[in-house]
Amino acid sequence: MDDTVTADPPARVQPASAARIGIGGPVGSGKTALIERLIPELGQRGIECAVVTNDLVTKEDALRLQRSGLISPDRVRAVEAGACPHTIIREDPTLNIAAADELSRQFPGASVILIESGGDNLASTFSLDLVDYWMFVIDTAGGDDIPRKRGPGVVRSDLLVINKTDLAPHVDVDLDLMQEQADAVRSGRPVILTNCRDNQGITAVVDQLCHDVLFVDA
Amino acid sequence: MEVRVSQILGFASEAAFAGRLHDLGHAGGVEYVMLAGEDVHRRRLRARTDKGTDCLIALPREQCLGDGAVLLLDEDRAVVVRLADERWLAVRPRDSAAALELGYFAGNLHWRVRFEGDHLLVALEGPELDYIDRLRHFLDDGRVVLSECHEQAP
Repeated sequence: MDDTVTADPPARVQPASAARIGIGGPVGSGKTALIERLIPELGQRGIECAVVTNDLVTKEDALRLQRSGLISPDRVRAVEAGACPHTIIREDPTLNIAAADELSRQFPGASVILIESGGDNLASTFSLDLVDYWMFVIDTAGGDDIPRKRGPGVVRSDLLVINKTDLAPHVDVDLDLMQEQADAVRSGRPVILTNCRDNQGITAVVDQLCHDVLFVDA
Repeated sequence: MEVRVSQILGFASEAAFAGRLHDLGHAGGVEYVMLAGEDVHRRRLRARTDKGTDCLIALPREQCLGDGAVLLLDEDRAVVVRLADERWLAVRPRDSAAALELGYFAGNLHWRVRFEGDHLLVALEGPELDYIDRLRHFLDDGRVVLSECHEQAP
């Protein structure tokens, strides 16, 4: 940063709140696994976080994170969609906004709130009333034809994550071609390959978040 | 150069800013951030002005970007938001049956639409060809006719 001009906010304006980052993608693509890797990587950089999880009719993902030992359990909130998961991240995100607001009030030091959608289809997108930035997670085992199907999640997300790269050779997926086709439909927006099981690609994801939305040196 | 923006100071249309922006404009001191589509709804984003200044915008949640939002104002420079004209694809159904089916189809794809006379206007949030491809079965058998794509100011 070579020249920074920052205006002090007047007293009536609240300071910028924690960045809200959505994580969507199909069932089993590795959204929760990604969060489990992001939390320590963010922590190593001094970035506090909190998490909102969405499940259909359970609190399964929230319980998994609360029991993980990676994050204080009270920093994790569960919101049950009760219907198609996209309804509470796009059509009416009120419940998720309320959960994020509550976490912001309770943990004012948190710089980022991760909001994990329930597993959905390729048409899933986030309302920008809810999040400032959103990732879409697909995986190689879902098939290398996913990017070229041009689902809105793949095309419009701020960051596309292709997870489970380790499985590609076992499911006859040409990973280079999959990435090439993803790049082709995303108009220059980033695509990052990860293998959450072995913590590969996570640094690149956090670097991207730091640059695009957290605005801290990577 | 990089500028961190932590609040919207006001809007260019407000009397408190209009004179100052006018003077700075004549001196070449006004930079514009062009925002398109849904980006205007973000509270945090990185954007670049027409003069190459990177703006790292992180607003309080109660503030919303909009056309004319003043992000920076100092002695010799201002940064102001401009919203790009939105592109719409105009299509016309052949009859009421086609209109019903087209309406259902557009809703099912969560397209953002407007109505203008007997035309349905679909907001283009990606390449126009993607939308035309989705409508191909309507277009091929003439149930829906494609009108020209046009832009409308925000």
